[in-house]
Amino acid sequence: MRRILLVLSLLSAASPAMGQILVESERIDAVSVTLYRDPGRGEGGIPAGGWPGGYALITETRTISVPAGKSVIRFVGVSEGMMPETAIVTGLPRQVGEKNRDARLLSPAALIDAYLKRRVTIRRTNRATGKVTEGEAVIQSGPGGGVLLTTAAGVEALGCSGLPETLHYPGVPADLSAKPTLSVTTDSAAAATVTVQISYLAQGFDWSANYVAQVAEDGETLDLFAWLTVANGGSQGFADASTNAVAGAPNKETAAALPKGPAPELHLRCWPMDNTSTYPRWGIERLPSAPAPMFEAGLADDIVVTGSVQRMAMMSAPAPIAVMTAQQEELGDLKLYRIPEPVTVAAQSRKQVAMIDRKRVGFARVYAGNFQPFEYSPGQGVSVGFEAARILRTRNVDAQGLGLPLPAGRVAVFERAREESLLVGESDLADRAIGEEVEFATGQSSDLRYTIVARPPSKKRQSFTVEVINARSTPETFELPLPFPLASADAKLIEHKGLRTWRVTVPANGAARLEFALKREAGADPNRGRSRP
Amino acid sequence: MRLTALILATIPFAAHAQAQPAMPAPDQTAQGDVSVTIYQNGQSLVQDVRQLDLAAGRTRQEFPDVSAQIRSETVTLSGPGLGIVEQNFDYDLLSPDKLMEKAVGSVVTIVRTNPATGSETREQARVLAANGGIVLQIGNRIEVLRDDGLPVRVIFDKVPENLRARPTLSVTLQAARAGRVPATLTYLTPGLGWTSDYVMLFDEAKGAIDMQGWVTLTNNTGTNYRSADVLLVAGNPNRGGGGFSQLGDSTIEEAGTESGPREKLGDYYLYPLAERTTIANAQQKQVSFLDVKNTPARKTYEWTNGWLETQSDPRSAATVLKFSTSKNGGLGDQLPSGTIRVYMRDARGDPQFIGESRVAAAPMGSAMSIRTGDAFDVKGAAVVVERKRLSSSRWRTSMRYDFTNARPAPVTIDLAQNGLWGDVRLIEQSQAGERVSADRMEWKVPVPANGKASVSVVFDTRY
Repeated sequence: MRRILLVLSLLSAASPAMGQILVESERIDAVSVTLYRDPGRGEGGIPAGGWPGGYALITETRTISVPAGKSVIRFVGVSEGMMPETAIVTGLPRQVGEKNRDARLLSPAALIDAYLKRRVTIRRTNRATGKVTEGEAVIQSGPGGGVLLTTAAGVEALGCSGLPETLHYPGVPADLSAKPTLSVTTDSAAAATVTVQISYLAQGFDWSANYVAQVAEDGETLDLFAWLTVANGGSQGFADASTNAVAGAPNKETAAALPKGPAPELHLRCWPMDNTSTYPRWGIERLPSAPAPMFEAGLADDIVVTGSVQRMAMMSAPAPIAVMTAQQEELGDLKLYRIPEPVTVAAQSRKQVAMIDRKRVGFARVYAGNFQPFEYSPGQGVSVGFEAARILRTRNVDAQGLGLPLPAGRVAVFERAREESLLVGESDLADRAIGEEVEFATGQSSDLRYTIVARPPSKKRQSFTVEVINARSTPETFELPLPFPLASADAKLIEHKGLRTWRVTVPANGAARLEFALKREAGADPNRGRSRP
Repeated sequence: MRLTALILATIPFAAHAQAQPAMPAPDQTAQGDVSVTIYQNGQSLVQDVRQLDLAAGRTRQEFPDVSAQIRSETVTLSGPGLGIVEQNFDYDLLSPDKLMEKAVGSVVTIVRTNPATGSETREQARVLAANGGIVLQIGNRIEVLRDDGLPVRVIFDKVPENLRARPTLSVTLQAARAGRVPATLTYLTPGLGWTSDYVMLFDEAKGAIDMQGWVTLTNNTGTNYRSADVLLVAGNPNRGGGGFSQLGDSTIEEAGTESGPREKLGDYYLYPLAERTTIANAQQKQVSFLDVKNTPARKTYEWTNGWLETQSDPRSAATVLKFSTSKNGGLGDQLPSGTIRVYMRDARGDPQFIGESRVAAAPMGSAMSIRTGDAFDVKGAAVVVERKRLSSSRWRTSMRYDFTNARPAPVTIDLAQNGLWGDVRLIEQSQAGERVSADRMEWKVPVPANGKASVSVVFDTRY
């Protein structure tokens, strides 16, 4: 529905009156939504509940009739999280003169505010006879601390007498709208019907990849499946939107605070209302009348595809067959994922669409330990040992069955046991480009344990002994990074991720051992004591 | 399509306009010819020329529709033949409880409605007290207002003089003669501000940008400024730059030395808006001030190591856009500080957002470099290969920088090593670099398409 309102601007005597034609555009023909991750969230999934911290680029296509001459075009119903400084309007016959975003919405308080010192109608209904009396009134104060009116009788306060009374207004002020509105001014040589595009960034959105890694029966390969999870925390939905998500880390500055509109609620405050039976209750802080609403956002989230909530149940069934998969495109140094069909990004909802589906991805199972130097103490016994972290490691290359960009997200790893798929671990994955190493953590192993024992030190050396035991019936790989100045080691060390690392194959139901020594030097680290500039 | 023509006449409710003075329409104002000068430090200068109908001698004149946040000590009023006796800024606001409080001791009219018959009875009552509840004296009896819970209207004769709906400025004037006088009211107010926002469309294949600049005005003063003549002052009067000073992180690579045709005030640039505009309260308004098409720009990558340390997890290089604000081969204008948002077209040709960067105010002719984000496919890692002790205060530190490029095109990465202080010396390097400052060295590292490259550097560090 479009309305054209002709408004003779009511300008003060000093400035020339100029006619501006008001065009309202309420219908959105087509909309596209591109989602960006919350820049401050880290690598994991979208936290449950709360206002999503990411943002979206929303592009609306609308058809409007532009009259000849100067006009004001009001785009009604833009997203409430809109960052107005990012708005771009294209497609108008001539350039946009100015763009305005008004935080003032039509509300009871805004009406009082707009009609302050103006004439309105007060209507009173007699409770006994039902007789309605109407009279003229001028609003003298409001809406802050109660409303005072000048009526034919004198000065009265609205809503303080206990009589049913209400105000009527002659019309809605032209600058108050029901929904968040962006208005632009333009100047056209001739009347025309045009298709315009409005793009803007809006807050309250987020997206993440959610990976499901299903280890095959043989334990040699895994199937990697990823959902593209879209979250809209706003109260505005986008029906049939062509939806994209951008992976990577675009720079985002903190957005300036929006001008706040006046509070929309109208509180009709009166003079002190105590009487003989209530005194002195007046003045004591009253309890809130209704309990504050429960933490709704998390509960109200509408899970479109039950991927994470009923995970256990779903996973015992065969892996999902994705009919629609988001397609990856290059976007400068970022990756764009396009959902091929228009979908509805509903208000306060999460939606999931398949984005990655790779079968038979090769991986290696690695057990990893952790070493920090510690001082020898003569009384120390031999501890039972630490559990090694169990990691599924692969390389993001074609040969391993991958070789595609892997956007950051949460990974859940499942393995089969007793004819069922069971969760063995969850971890976060950072953005992984083609060629990079990819690791999925699957918790700690009680079958591979390692003990580190310090030997009595010499003046220049501190010796340690590491022993790994393997209770599994298969040989397993164990890794221990040693990123410290080494004096000696009785095995060859490799470099992994820039760190000197002991890598050993521990025989089935066997053990492996490493003797190494660190250098003991005064001021061993030349960086110590210096702070970063 | 529904067409409604609604004409709001200047006197809207003509039918009601009887003996009372004409009631202004909801969006009418008492402001005259308004000009607003907005600075970037949160202060604005408002000048309002109003036509006053004055009688000769002393009169008290109210000035409604001034900023609700007006700094009343900065108000000046001038006009031909006008002398100022005193200026008052009253913010004792009118509300039902204030009105009742002020009515203590005076007589009000109360109207009772019989709940059964609906008939009304009127009585005169004196308000004795308004502490917690209202105590009234009616004839010889004392009563608490609405003690029985039945409806009672309280009607006051008038609104007390010094209670107002909005904070109001009033000036007592001494007019030399009667008649209409143009009076110029000027004052400072906080609550108005502006910044600039830039929209940049980057075409990587052409190596070009289109850039639009918008002035973004915000009004939180609580007042609308109707049809105002707006002047914006660019500059940073007494306000910090906000984190642009860090070496190597600046958006201005080289400050320009060209002068533009723009008007200046001291060393501040002036941006007058071409047309009069209305700045409504709680509004964010944008007005175009720059539109340049097809300016050369190029993309580079930047990877900085803050310290001689191992960074074992590969970290993405920053994507950097470089362009100029010069007259020749650039935007040809100075840029007020603001935020540049960069867009690129996707495979379908739709512009998509690829990142934004705040920029400091840049003179014309500046070489600009802005970081739009992290490159997904271009990553680097630093490894301390060896740290060998030469003496008690000298070390030999061998660094290796590994870069990977998963893009199908070769890239060049600007590698920077910070944290060299002044005392770190270079012993050897696998490719020639440049010591740009005592603290920083830079290398340009070419990385082949879908390939890897490494740089090895040995430093002599002192401690």
